[in-house]
Amino acid sequence: MKKKFLLITTILISTSLILSACGGAAAPSESAAPAGKKTTVKIWTHQNTAFLSGYSALADKYMKLHPDIEIIIESFDYDTFIQTLQTSLPAKTEADILTLFGSWVCSYSEGGYLATVPESVITVPEAEEKFFNSAIGGYACDGRLYGIPQEFNIEYGAVLVNTNLAKEAGVAVDGWADWDEFIVDAKKLTVVQDGVMTRAGFNFTGSDGIATMFHSLYLQYGGQYLTDGTYTVNTPEGKKTLELMKRLVDEGLVDPILFNDEENWVGDSYFAETSAIGLVGPWAVPEYSGDYPEVADATVYVPLPSVGAEPVFAAASGWGMSVSVNSKVQDVAWDFVKFVTLDADNALEWNIASGTLPALKEETTGEKAAELVEKFPFFEPFLDLLQYGVFEGHFPDRDFVWYEVTYPRVLEFLQGISTSDETLETIQTEVRGSF
Amino acid sequence: MIIKKKDSKPSKRTRRDKAEKQFVNSIISPLVIYMAFWTLMPLIWGIALAFFEYSARRSGGLFLGFGGDNPFVGLAHFKNMLIFSPDAPLEVRQFHVGVKMTLLFALLVVPLNLILTLPLAFLIESVLDKVKGIFRTFFFLPVLAPSVGVAIMWNFIYHPQHGLLNAIIGKFMGKLVGINWTGDPNLVIGGIPIAIIAIVLAYVWQDLGYNLVIFIAALQAIPQHLKDAARIDGANNWQIFTRIVIPLLTPTIMLTVILTTISAFHVFDIIQVMTDGGPAGQTKVLLLNIYDYAFRYQRMGWAAAVSLVMFLLIFSVSLVQTKLLRSEWEY
Repeated sequence: MKKKFLLITTILISTSLILSACGGAAAPSESAAPAGKKTTVKIWTHQNTAFLSGYSALADKYMKLHPDIEIIIESFDYDTFIQTLQTSLPAKTEADILTLFGSWVCSYSEGGYLATVPESVITVPEAEEKFFNSAIGGYACDGRLYGIPQEFNIEYGAVLVNTNLAKEAGVAVDGWADWDEFIVDAKKLTVVQDGVMTRAGFNFTGSDGIATMFHSLYLQYGGQYLTDGTYTVNTPEGKKTLELMKRLVDEGLVDPILFNDEENWVGDSYFAETSAIGLVGPWAVPEYSGDYPEVADATVYVPLPSVGAEPVFAAASGWGMSVSVNSKVQDVAWDFVKFVTLDADNALEWNIASGTLPALKEETTGEKAAELVEKFPFFEPFLDLLQYGVFEGHFPDRDFVWYEVTYPRVLEFLQGISTSDETLETIQTEVRGSF
Repeated sequence: MIIKKKDSKPSKRTRRDKAEKQFVNSIISPLVIYMAFWTLMPLIWGIALAFFEYSARRSGGLFLGFGGDNPFVGLAHFKNMLIFSPDAPLEVRQFHVGVKMTLLFALLVVPLNLILTLPLAFLIESVLDKVKGIFRTFFFLPVLAPSVGVAIMWNFIYHPQHGLLNAIIGKFMGKLVGINWTGDPNLVIGGIPIAIIAIVLAYVWQDLGYNLVIFIAALQAIPQHLKDAARIDGANNWQIFTRIVIPLLTPTIMLTVILTTISAFHVFDIIQVMTDGGPAGQTKVLLLNIYDYAFRYQRMGWAAAVSLVMFLLIFSVSLVQTKLLRSEWEY
């Protein structure tokens, strides 16, 4: 009898321990709060000090206007954020509002995890009118909107130029009519000592730089790499693209063996002044200005020359906000999202706090543009370029296409390991295999 | 006639033992069951994943997300691993490279580790007791250092323009040297990429202290009279080392070989920080492959299948090593 009692007690304690651990995070907040109680809206974002400061300021502003609502912001280290999303979404323990990178949105919406944007907030045609094509592209999946962008993610179109180094080398920093002019100037900025490149004239061989440059140049040469879900780059346009990129290496502007994602990554290298011109997005300037204020002060962005009639470029949809389909406070969540993303003043406030380019078209003209440029003078050349951004397209896994296929294959080509034909065929086959 | 009286109640000692057992069982058992559950569940889930085309981004069936948009594919992943053709899918070709690189890494690490640690342990064991501890501490310190820190430090040593190694070589050559030890895909020696050799050196530098203390402990267990007897018979130090010490250390050598091999198969952080699998996939070991496919590209089914294969690989290698290195020495 005593044994049976002990056995039952043991099983009960074990089971309750296991079940309590299986309980997971707290359930999403209640919708209709009883009188006197606040409605809680939780937001998840990745850790970026500038982003967080923007969100916190707007959350405080919103809560002042809505004292019955409490907004809680939780942030995660980037890799942890991705893994947290992967585990919490199937477990239905995610936050009400998720800040997502635009390229991820359709894959999460296909999994049934995201709520569509209510038409009372904004319709698809209205969104396409208000936002830049590449900014909204990632959020529109099968004709429906699953989030609203906050920033324009640009990794091609203009380059960082160190005006101090340019002055020393006698290079005028006022733009280039074509690639020939660019190559002449960048060559003057390259330093080679005993056959070793100690300063790259033009460092474009990071993963984002190579992948975005490849696809952008392909568009500029008149090609369309993604048509009706079929990826094609093994074409004359693809060959011209690779030839131009190889020419930059052969002319001695960069040594792709010494300068790539693993060694002398463009952001680190540019601000350490081992690269005079760097292909990296404008987010890098606020990121590095704290540690390298002199270089940041001497930095301007200059548009790259175009091989086509217009300087079109491929761009991912940047960070924005989506609402979980499991949220019990979707109305309130969408109201906050609307407050942050669609109110031009608030959207601008976030862009200024986070150091990002705006996704809203109206922020790139008039007083709002002036306010942006006053805070970030290096944004000025981008504001005219944003209209040429083309959404990079819906891939089943964009990161796979960019970082696992395009970057390593093009880098190997630039390093002389493969030919252009082999490279184009390999990229095309491997990307098609991911569909 | 002796009549044995049957005890009517158990002795005090037996009752105490029984009470202790009941107490331990009732307190420890729930915790053991709890821990076993949380150890076994992920293991079982991981094995089950290998038979599904699973992504956390897709909503699956009701039970743990299996089924639905995460369909059951049976042995498809394992069958794909046997496609040895240039037209095989990228993940399959990367798997083959991963297996090759992992085996190569282990083949380089294990002998190098033993060649360095065994004589070093013998030397340390032969010095004065007063300074033995200092040497042991010195060599064990890298083991305590975080792998990421070790990787960053070695990256500095190998840096093509500002690295210590190139600076030293440059001093001898009288000019600037810009060899990219971990990033030049053309740097290959005897078919082995220099990048992987560079990582092996960093890894062994960190790891050798661990085997060193094991060998020192084993050397201390060898009876001194055996060495004394050998010395009396005219053996020199080298003969004592090769004819007495090494044979008697065989069980320890077997243990360290197995542990070092398992550890080498599990290498991840040092490679991720130093090269992230480059250049041109020359250092893309299996665990890095698994990480990329599970957490970057969310192809967890495929990643789980590769994990299972990796487990079988380690298991087989350990079995072979146990068989080959088993000794029947006793002393």
